[in-house]
Amino acid sequence: MLLNYIGSFLIIILGLYITIVKKNLIKIVIGMSLMDSGINLLLISIGFRQGGTAPIFMSDLKPGAFFVDPVPQALTLTSIVIGACVTALALSLVIKIKAHYGSIDADKVRRLNG
Amino acid sequence: MTSYFSNLPIIAILAPFLGAFLVGLMGGRKKLLNVQRSIAIATTFTSFLSLIYLIKPVILDKYIVAYWMGNWKPESQWAIGIGLEVDAFSLFTALIIAAACFLSAIYSFKYMEEDNGLDKYYVLFQLLSASMIGFVLTGDVFNMYVMLEIMTFAAIALTSFRNHLYKSVEAGFKYIVIGSLGSSFILLGTILLYSQLHTLNLAQMAALLHGNYTPVSILALAFMLTGYAVKAFMVPCHTWPVDAHMAAPSSISMLLSGIMSKTGVYALVRILYMIYQSTGRPEMEFLIIFWGTITMLVGITMAVVQTDFKRLLAFSSVSQIGYIMVGFGVGLSVNKGVAVVGTMGALFHMLNHATFKSLLFLCAGAVLHQTGTTDLNKLGGLSKKMPYTTAFFIIGTLSISGIPPFNGFVSKWLIYQASFEAGYAPVTIIALMASVLTLASLIKVIQSVFFGQLKEEYKDVKEVPLFMRIPMMVLSAICIIVGVVPNFVSKYLIEPAAFSIYNIGNYIDVMFEKGYAAKMFKETVSIPSMDYTLAGYWNPLSWLILFMILLIALILFFSFGYKSSNNKVIDDLINTRYETFTGGEKEDYNHLGENDMFWGMRQDFGRYFRFIKGAHSGVVNDYVLWVVAACAIVTIYLFTLM
Amino acid sequence: MKKNIIIKNSIIKSCANITLPIALILGIYVILHGHLSPGGGFQGGVLIAGAVAIVFTAYGYKEVLSLFNAERAKTFEDIGALGYVFLGTLGLIYGYTFCTNVLWHSTPGKLYSSGTIFWMNFAVGYKVLAGLGFLIIMLVSNLYQTSEYEDEEEK
Repeated sequence: MLLNYIGSFLIIILGLYITIVKKNLIKIVIGMSLMDSGINLLLISIGFRQGGTAPIFMSDLKPGAFFVDPVPQALTLTSIVIGACVTALALSLVIKIKAHYGSIDADKVRRLNG
Repeated sequence: MTSYFSNLPIIAILAPFLGAFLVGLMGGRKKLLNVQRSIAIATTFTSFLSLIYLIKPVILDKYIVAYWMGNWKPESQWAIGIGLEVDAFSLFTALIIAAACFLSAIYSFKYMEEDNGLDKYYVLFQLLSASMIGFVLTGDVFNMYVMLEIMTFAAIALTSFRNHLYKSVEAGFKYIVIGSLGSSFILLGTILLYSQLHTLNLAQMAALLHGNYTPVSILALAFMLTGYAVKAFMVPCHTWPVDAHMAAPSSISMLLSGIMSKTGVYALVRILYMIYQSTGRPEMEFLIIFWGTITMLVGITMAVVQTDFKRLLAFSSVSQIGYIMVGFGVGLSVNKGVAVVGTMGALFHMLNHATFKSLLFLCAGAVLHQTGTTDLNKLGGLSKKMPYTTAFFIIGTLSISGIPPFNGFVSKWLIYQASFEAGYAPVTIIALMASVLTLASLIKVIQSVFFGQLKEEYKDVKEVPLFMRIPMMVLSAICIIVGVVPNFVSKYLIEPAAFSIYNIGNYIDVMFEKGYAAKMFKETVSIPSMDYTLAGYWNPLSWLILFMILLIALILFFSFGYKSSNNKVIDDLINTRYETFTGGEKEDYNHLGENDMFWGMRQDFGRYFRFIKGAHSGVVNDYVLWVVAACAIVTIYLFTLM
Repeated sequence: MKKNIIIKNSIIKSCANITLPIALILGIYVILHGHLSPGGGFQGGVLIAGAVAIVFTAYGYKEVLSLFNAERAKTFEDIGALGYVFLGTLGLIYGYTFCTNVLWHSTPGKLYSSGTIFWMNFAVGYKVLAGLGFLIIMLVSNLYQTSEYEDEEEK
């Protein structure tokens, strides 16, 4: 169980590193998406209970059944949708930048400075 | 108890969502354009009207409206549904948002005539206004995150709306990288807080977290502070709005600059005052006041050296947010009388800043619409052709610098008094200096744009049409009225809002049942008392004369100060050290230089100004590094002091 | 060289002929049983929108344009959103609060037992499939501004 938490924090830090260091605009978008995946993994691991089953409403439900926590699973769905929308919007902006500036290097896309 | 007003919050949120989907259904046909515009104006007016009907129960009768979605009432004192809760502070912020959205809808009737694809504009505009109202009226932490994301997407799409210009697309990309980073930090903080408390309801979190902090919850506080600081533009996370406000259409710039920052400040107040209950802790007070002071200083420093009209207004917006944060920081202090004055000053400044910043951006939009450029070097002498715009801009300038009898004076006076009596005297001095520098930079703009020589190509510009003048008239009238009768506004709007910020026990009790807060806190909850004394009071004429004397003294000191004979006006050909070098050719009449009263000061403090201006390099990786560094510093500070 | 390309094309086309109906049926199943098994509106909608990607991979850009009408997809998305808002206000009309489950039958575990949630799944799934399909068509059509792929398709 501890492995999940360590792994998710490693993925978040890796996503931040890519966003800070890499200069290609598409690599920056990939870094943002990687950070979202790390946060989703952390969210799912929080809801785990030892010995519980999947929280599905079946027809032969006995009182006293032991579920894992269903709230973080609903939150993760919302977060995945938002991450997909951010990636789509950022990629379409990169297409437009290439049409205007001719290159997708972060050192050349800096006409608004000062 | 469902009475006539308990369904009003949900109507205020749903009406613009419904309008957005209806406008999208109609498609892009030219004949239906007027129908789409009237739908947009009608839905924003509906939400504004339903919030006005809520004034009577919430503010006058002091009743808090609680609304559980899906009829999932709490079972055995544990919340299982999503709840909306409207108290006086939420209603105060929501009224500002709804009024501004309505005025912006009227302004964009004529302003966006020459663009095509206008149905998409109205869909995004209504999504933006609906999500902003939904953000302040909700009582559930994850619902706040979802509304924040909708708001961010709509704002990004509207920033890069005119994608035939290169600056819109570049500003949109920088906004999405930094904004998404801030939202990820907020989500991380919310998750860590959920893992400790197992609930997402704002009232229940406040009841369970009373005083016992675990290390995980302190880490969550650090992440959430940084994330909301990105949204409410505090230094060093302030680099995205200065590009976004420059590139967006002006009816959207006014919403982004004046209103969206207020939602970030609202969330910070809810986290600090309600969930973490840090009133009376001197270390939190020091952190917030220090952060606010740096914001004021860096914002106004960059505003003095700009040459683009809207970029200058965006930087002065950043420094005004610093004032609001200093006010809320003083509100956390132990001394009850001073704390109340600080909170009231900050709330008043929220209202005033929304008013005069919207007015300034609408005037900038009028100039851009008629002449087609916002470069200060190219414009000049427009006051004969556009008299109304000049008058409104001068009213806005006098309000933002805090000159009586306009409304900026009242709120800035409260903030000066609060920060002085709380023991932070250097903050008062820096705030006064920032006011004077704001006035200087805006007078530079007035001289360059409205007075001076009229250029050849702008000979036949006309005044803006009537639909664009109506919002400007309404906003100027509010500026003058609030400045002349501040007692009336303070008694009916500001005091109930400040009372409800401190009154946590009542907020928790309404969601569950009476006595829940006392049982959770294991002590009786006291009703906060609201007695305070204002130092002196304002006698408008004498303060105006005093301010003028101070201003003239500062100008004289910097003009003929310790380095003499350097800063004469341009027709001094002997000392050509500060003139523009043109290589011997015939030079254009650069009228920007002589109208800048503080030009000499900029040369004397050249290293400082050059350092800060060079730090804003325009590369997106540097901006991300600043946000992460701020998060690291806040985390280290909170862990060593708690 | 030419023979290689024709063989590769026919392999992909025959695989797509088998997987496309399976993907569509799986998507509708996931939407329909949203309250009984993992899934629901959003997941089923994404599966059905993947049909556009399958058609593009196998048949090329011209088939995608002739099969799917982009303008109508944009209108369908708004119809789905309006359907969701209407189902939410059913709760307001009946006298309770927003998004109340007013059509609830008694036995859990059967297919039509969750009331309003069943119709809401349909509305959300419809919106997602129209929206994502339109998005994929737009992003793909941006790839083919140049004409270097035109000659390969006509072989």
